[in-house]
Amino acid sequence: MKKLITLSVNSLEHELAVEANVSLADVLRYQLGLTGTKKGCGIGDCGACTVLMDGVPVFSCLVLAVEAQGFDILTIEGVAEGSELHPVQKAFVEVGAIQCGFCTPGMVLNALALLDKNPDPSEADVRLALSGNLCRCTGYQKIVEAVLTAAKDMMKEEAQPEEAK
Amino acid sequence: MSIPPFEVLQPESLQEACELLGKHSSEGAAVLAGGTDILVDIRRPIIPEHLPRCSGCDPKTLMPRKAVEKPPAYMVALSRIPDLSGISEAKNGDISIGSMTTITQICESQLVREKLTALAEGGDNLGSPLVRNRGTLGGNICNARPAADALVPSVALGAQLELQSVNETRIVSVSDFVTGPGRTIRKADEVLSKVIFPALPEMSGSSCIKLANRKALEISVVNVAAVLTLDKAGKISQAKVALGSVAPTPVLAEKAAASLIGEKPSDDLFKEAGKTAAGECKPITDHRGSALYRVDMVGILVKNALQKALERAR
Ligand SMILES: Cc1cc2nc3c(=O)[nH]c(=O)nc-3n(C[C@H](O)[C@H](O)[C@H](O)COP(=O)(O)OP(=O)(O)OC[C@H]3O[C@@H](n4cnc5c(N)ncnc54)[C@H](O)[C@@H]3O)c2cc1C
Ligand code: FES
Ligand code: FES
Repeated sequence: MKKLITLSVNSLEHELAVEANVSLADVLRYQLGLTGTKKGCGIGDCGACTVLMDGVPVFSCLVLAVEAQGFDILTIEGVAEGSELHPVQKAFVEVGAIQCGFCTPGMVLNALALLDKNPDPSEADVRLALSGNLCRCTGYQKIVEAVLTAAKDMMKEEAQPEEAK
Repeated sequence: MSIPPFEVLQPESLQEACELLGKHSSEGAAVLAGGTDILVDIRRPIIPEHLPRCSGCDPKTLMPRKAVEKPPAYMVALSRIPDLSGISEAKNGDISIGSMTTITQICESQLVREKLTALAEGGDNLGSPLVRNRGTLGGNICNARPAADALVPSVALGAQLELQSVNETRIVSVSDFVTGPGRTIRKADEVLSKVIFPALPEMSGSSCIKLANRKALEISVVNVAAVLTLDKAGKISQAKVALGSVAPTPVLAEKAAASLIGEKPSDDLFKEAGKTAAGECKPITDHRGSALYRVDMVGILVKNALQKALERAR
């Protein structure tokens, strides 16, 4: 039996009819067409499906859609402002932290949550925060560099007086 | 791989949750906490050798996911019930942790880090940040895996479980609760509401060490938790050692703990206790490590865990 739910995704409310056993990842991808959320393993091992729920990174493949009601969900589609990339996204591009890109949405969202909590992380902090997100291409080095670069960029931006921005 | 069909019920009180569990028990009803175990376990295994997610269970005879031939028809979610998560300290020093408290909340609690260090250290090593953000203490305990990273320190810390059913509240010790891999004495209509950690005396310290093939997303080869209390003269007055991944349930190494009581702590004493603990477990060989290796590692990890607990007790 389908249940009627309201999901708040990237600040938009969606009324949806979903089966109880359907994951948030599947609803995002197949009902809302937000295919930026990737599905790698479907069992919590790879982190490709990471989204933020009230700012906390979770694997959307192991969260039932009916259990995601009442949370503010942020997917990769909600990170850039229009065509202006978020500093974390910019750093991923500039440093070369993206190869096939399958892990990138999850990595970016996890990095966002980390920098929100800890704006000046050490390399070890970054590696720990990303330890549930697997990448088959980059060897992680550039991803870690990108997050550290983004942290520096964001702190610089913060420090600048308003007019100079 | 999709999740097999079931209905989700989302009660708003503990009483209602127990009633629903009782009402639907004949069709199969399971508690849904964070879902990080159950939403994986109810699927058909993809690669049998990868399962179960624990050392200690024999992959041939005790495959938990094979046992789940029929997924439950109902999932009773605890997420809407208020007051099931949170950490508080009673006047007598007992620390009570709601069953829906996530592993991340436990690891980030100053109170837990200071007074239940072994539990915080066990949590630090559980899965990955994504697992810890969803997985709960109640789920880790009720899932009853011999390697479970929050269960093993809970055994060493003498945790008491409050089980709530329609007509009754009962308190059982975590060691009595777990009877085998994935097996507990929980009745069909019972919900674990909170976990109570009895206050430790002054001059106590605890620690938990996990040996695994990788730092994240890995189940232990062996995990060990130790708790020590010193008396005024600096001798050991209380000791507990719990071993994970070396038997169908976490094991209290009672002989090893007894050998410490009344003694002055020393490296030699801890080394001997490690040897004794190694004799108290019967691990299996699987793809994570051989039985022989595990026994050897128990000896070393028990010594190291006791040393760390001692530093904190002083
Ligand atoms: C990728 C991945 C890696 C993992 N790595 C580890 C690891 O390294 N170490 C480790 O120990 N675990 C690991 N796990 C397992 C799991 O994350 C933990 O055991 C977690 O604590 C389970 O909590 P949960 O809330 O998700 O439980 P759920 O899956 O919701 O429930 C687990 C079981 O307990 C029952 N249950 C839950 N809460 C209650 C309650 N309050 N009352 C009665 N019954 C209840 C459920 O019915 C179910 O049978 C991993 C899981 C994944 C997906
Ligand atoms: S798809 Fe969700 S963790 Fe791999
Ligand atoms: S860039 Fe291909 S998986 Fe990370």
